[in-house]
Amino acid sequence: MTTVDDLEPFMWDEKFETLLRGYLPFLSPTEPLESDAQLRDLGLDSMGMVELLGNLENTYQVRFLDDALTMDTFQSPSVLWKAVGSLLPSAAG
Amino acid sequence: MEKQTAIVFPGMGPAAFADVGRFMMVNPFARDLVVIADDVLGYSLVDAFSEAEGDYSEAAQVAFLVNCLACAQWARENLGIEPDVCVGPSFGEKAAVAFAEALPVDEAVRMTAELARCMDDYFSRKHTDIVTHSFVRTPEDKLAEILAELDEQGEWHDISCYIDDGFYMLSLSETRLAWLERRLRAIGGLSLYTMRPPMHSAAFAGLRDEAEWKVLSTLRFANPKLPVVADQDGAILRSSAGIHTMLLDSFVRPLRWPDVVAALERFGVERVCVAGPDSLFGRVGATTRKFAVIPANPRIAMTPRHRRSKAA
Repeated sequence: MTTVDDLEPFMWDEKFETLLRGYLPFLSPTEPLESDAQLRDLGLDSMGMVELLGNLENTYQVRFLDDALTMDTFQSPSVLWKAVGSLLPSAAG
Repeated sequence: MEKQTAIVFPGMGPAAFADVGRFMMVNPFARDLVVIADDVLGYSLVDAFSEAEGDYSEAAQVAFLVNCLACAQWARENLGIEPDVCVGPSFGEKAAVAFAEALPVDEAVRMTAELARCMDDYFSRKHTDIVTHSFVRTPEDKLAEILAELDEQGEWHDISCYIDDGFYMLSLSETRLAWLERRLRAIGGLSLYTMRPPMHSAAFAGLRDEAEWKVLSTLRFANPKLPVVADQDGAILRSSAGIHTMLLDSFVRPLRWPDVVAALERFGVERVCVAGPDSLFGRVGATTRKFAVIPANPRIAMTPRHRRSKAA
């Protein structure tokens, strides 16, 4: 049975995908971005994470703090998107 | 002032054999240097590196030196890079010293291998619990609060590297690492990497002394053929004595990258070529805000020319 959790990774918006792809040098523009792809394998390194983090904060007007600020957050597109989603104002309601 | 070019030899980060091994075996500049290294070391550098454990083994350190020098030669030949000045933050000092011909390459290899052994030996006896931890997004005033808390706890600590605004490397006891990471996250900081052996702290004066009598005092330094910028304070070095002191001070004084950037600007540098595997110094804002950065790393050197020009 499909659950909300199963669907969540596919709910990221275009801005997120465009932004993320900019930090994945080993993913060609024609390849799909799989929700469970390992971002490190696609070329996201430490400095890339730092820049991506700043860009996500500016784009979504959020601030990563505490548990969201670990390397694990940058494991895959779905994990990262969940982290962004949890910081959006609507997530508090 | 004429536009100047600097060559930057990066500090050492993890560079897996899988990422650079083929470059060492195929690139003609690297191959020539590997032959020299094998002769000095008395063993096969490539074999030892492929079998080595940990990011900072003796073989990994010599391989990093060789790859950085090979990348610089490749950049000269293929990108037309003719530097006016050079610098090597942290480990990169060794490549800068060899590139500037203050030491011949074989002696630079011997120095690198012997210093690696010297550090291994020292840190197996002393400061056995100290690590150096890097992090970003940490404003100076907020970091000061965290350091004051460490003081209150009676915990020793020392800033080993100043990389950029809010970007530091801090040496401290491994037992306080989890606490530090939690405190950093609470102020919006992001932890990047933890290094063992630690580096660049006044607490390691004993290591400075051992490195001098065991290794550096056995080397004969020449005046560098192009100016070298000291990574501790941005001083422009033109003498053998200055080079010798920079290598020794590296054990006990912090790396101050913003001071290096300021010194390069005063020198008239407008572009920097980063020679070697780098995920930091050519990428950090302190560098990219001031200079055009030309990376020359094993991956680019192994990319066929037609694909490189398309990518450009």
